[in-house]
Amino acid sequence: MNAIRLFWKRLKPYRTRLALLLAVVGPGIITANVDNDAAGITSYSVAGGNYGYSLLWMMPLVLITLIIVQEMSARLGIVTGKGLADLIRESLGVRLTTLILSLLVIVNLANTVSEFAGVAASMEIFGVSKFISVPLAAAGVWLLVFKGNYKSIERIFLIASSIYLAYIVSGILAEPDWLEVGKAVITPSFDFSFGYVMMFITIIGTTISPWMQFYQQASIVDKGIKVEDYRYEIIDVVVGSIFAVVVAGFILIACAATVHEKGITIETAQDAAMALGPVAGKYAQTLFAIGLLNASIFSAAILPLSTSYSVCEAFGWESSLSRDIKDAKIFFVIYTTLIVLGASIILLPIKSLIQAMMASQTLNGILLPIILIVMLHLINDRRLMGDFTMSRWFNILVWITAIFLILLAITLMILSISPGLFTS
Amino acid sequence: MPYASQLMSRPIADLDGEVIGSLSEIFAQQIGDISHPKIVAIEAKKGSRSLYISIHDVVALIAPAIALNKRKKDIRPYKPGENDLYLIRDVLDKQIIDTNGVRVVRVNDLEITRVENDFFIANVDTSSSGLLRRLGLSAISKRLPSKGKRGTESGIISWEDVELLSGDQPMRLKVPGEKLAELHPADLAEILSDLSRQEGRDIIESLDIETLADTLEEVEPDFQVSLLEGMDDERVADVLEEMEPDEAADLLAELPEDRSQELLELMEDEEAEDVRKLLSYPVDTAGGLMTTEYITIPPDITAEQAMAILREQGEDAEVYYYIYVLDSGEHLIGVLSLRELVIAQPQTKISDIMVKRVVTVHLEDSQDECAQSVAKYDLVAIPVVDDDKVLHGIVTADDAIDKIIPTAWKKRLPRLYH
Repeated sequence: MNAIRLFWKRLKPYRTRLALLLAVVGPGIITANVDNDAAGITSYSVAGGNYGYSLLWMMPLVLITLIIVQEMSARLGIVTGKGLADLIRESLGVRLTTLILSLLVIVNLANTVSEFAGVAASMEIFGVSKFISVPLAAAGVWLLVFKGNYKSIERIFLIASSIYLAYIVSGILAEPDWLEVGKAVITPSFDFSFGYVMMFITIIGTTISPWMQFYQQASIVDKGIKVEDYRYEIIDVVVGSIFAVVVAGFILIACAATVHEKGITIETAQDAAMALGPVAGKYAQTLFAIGLLNASIFSAAILPLSTSYSVCEAFGWESSLSRDIKDAKIFFVIYTTLIVLGASIILLPIKSLIQAMMASQTLNGILLPIILIVMLHLINDRRLMGDFTMSRWFNILVWITAIFLILLAITLMILSISPGLFTS
Repeated sequence: MPYASQLMSRPIADLDGEVIGSLSEIFAQQIGDISHPKIVAIEAKKGSRSLYISIHDVVALIAPAIALNKRKKDIRPYKPGENDLYLIRDVLDKQIIDTNGVRVVRVNDLEITRVENDFFIANVDTSSSGLLRRLGLSAISKRLPSKGKRGTESGIISWEDVELLSGDQPMRLKVPGEKLAELHPADLAEILSDLSRQEGRDIIESLDIETLADTLEEVEPDFQVSLLEGMDDERVADVLEEMEPDEAADLLAELPEDRSQELLELMEDEEAEDVRKLLSYPVDTAGGLMTTEYITIPPDITAEQAMAILREQGEDAEVYYYIYVLDSGEHLIGVLSLRELVIAQPQTKISDIMVKRVVTVHLEDSQDECAQSVAKYDLVAIPVVDDDKVLHGIVTADDAIDKIIPTAWKKRLPRLYH
């Protein structure tokens, strides 16, 4: 007995270190999980289904960029102890803050729409009309935040989101030509068609979405992670990012190996569900529907909440219910409006829910470079960051990403005006 | 009244009318007993060059173009000292504490007032019309119906009621909290819950042990833990000694086993003993809820003697409306309200006036049972006994009811992410 106790004592330094790691880990991994939201799943499915393996080479690049960007937001949160909206207001003044946050609200509204589109699409698989499912989901989400215990519900969502691990299994069971997959990962290809450029921006926009930066930083600030624990947070960020991109890659592979091989273009949620065929067989649709519904509702709850917090934080409006509802009425108005608008837009006659979801992610990709440049500005502010400013190489990498994204956005705009410009 | 934001970017011209630059910073100082900071200098910026100009060199500050009374070459640059507030860099757009309205707000603008030849910062503007003014949309804000109220409602806060957050403070305010320490601990707790954890930690660093202990008692245990993270163990132990034993026990129960043991070692034996005892009971039973600070007397003394004991023990007791009567074996044999004691004849024996049928709860009774007894018998506190009727502690009404009817601010939005 004593020997065991002695051994346990001797382990103490390691135990402390492990405890520290576990205490810090969370924001990065949760962010990564929320990252694979309804629109994300859809985008990867469509990318695989319509373009086969040809977009796979983006994934390693997206992973590196994702790690760098999430690390930036983690570092900003840990060192300053403030949220991103807070820092933007304090460093850039009222006008720029208003501009950036207005854009964020618009883009996040589009994202909220896409989450409700996810609800509609998944419930249509079960034969439930969107006129029933969407209002119900909207009311549920609204009540969840004001009446429920968000913290415990978050865990349920997180566990449920592991349903998407089925994609990894099905990606393997679909027996793709691994040689071809490997070749696709290392062979860059590009195509100046409108659809391809849009797909490109969409993949980046959905994996490294602007609102995730606000979300992760807020969650790190909320957790009160200290500067001493910074290196543990990096582990959190890297593990989370790898997880997110690996799942994304396998969704793409699964869809490429099944849907694309059959020459089908993904138009509906049922098409995307087909990719799960190898693992789930006839239950593929059910599995896909449950996963999509879970991801949609999870994000539909977080997105409006995170947006309202950001806006109230930036403009100094009360964002807690510490006193009365009437004291936090701006918060209520923004939150409620986002949910009501997001849900009603889906009830309009929209031909393809999948198209609606993708469009929001394209908007993400267009807003992203602006957020990146703002983050760069903040993270290089020595008064704010002390010794934690970014190294020159990281700066260059992020600048390249931002400029590349801006060029892509411009290309997309030109292509939308004259589609054949680069190909003819 | 003019606003700091309106002065921003205004051209600054010297005696010859040459434009030196545009205004980019305003320095102010708190001088003497005046609670409003006085503007002492401004910064003129042109391209990357900047010049600090003392207010003595300024002829007209509130003007479309700020005029100086010297030529550029004659200006002796102002040297900002430790006591200087950088109003634009450190106050504008930042969060501050409104000690009157007990909330954390964001500074949209600063209102400047002129007293004879000096300029002071009169008020902090946190209103939406201040925001619109900054956006150049003051036309809209004028059209908005004015509430005609001042104070927290209007968003205009006098500088007297403002406390800056420590991260943004110059040296002068390194010992902040004068205004904060005067707040009720429950209000202070509310402000802490409005701030990020890091800012919260900065504030509690600056509080004295007693205020800190009182404030922590108003905060949820898991939030207490995060506030105490990073504070050195000696100080935490001091705070725990100062807290009511039951609150201290609740806090320690939230900490990892190793740390709570270390802290108990550091505490003074007497306090640590009480807390250890409380820790041994499950949290949601009478034993876990009770406190050990109350007044006891023997039955065979007079009312006058009892009053003397009361004066001695009253200091530490959490509840002194009830005086518990114990026999030599610590068995609870009666109870006496403060009123009964005060109106009794001085020479009356306690055993003659005490109430012998005492309502009690058992150590293992649930919180629900405590709350129900407290409500049923209209008690302020209820004694906790074991099988042999030995008194172990008392559960106060607020602790009993606490988890059934949460305090108002517990209803705040769930902390978003964790």
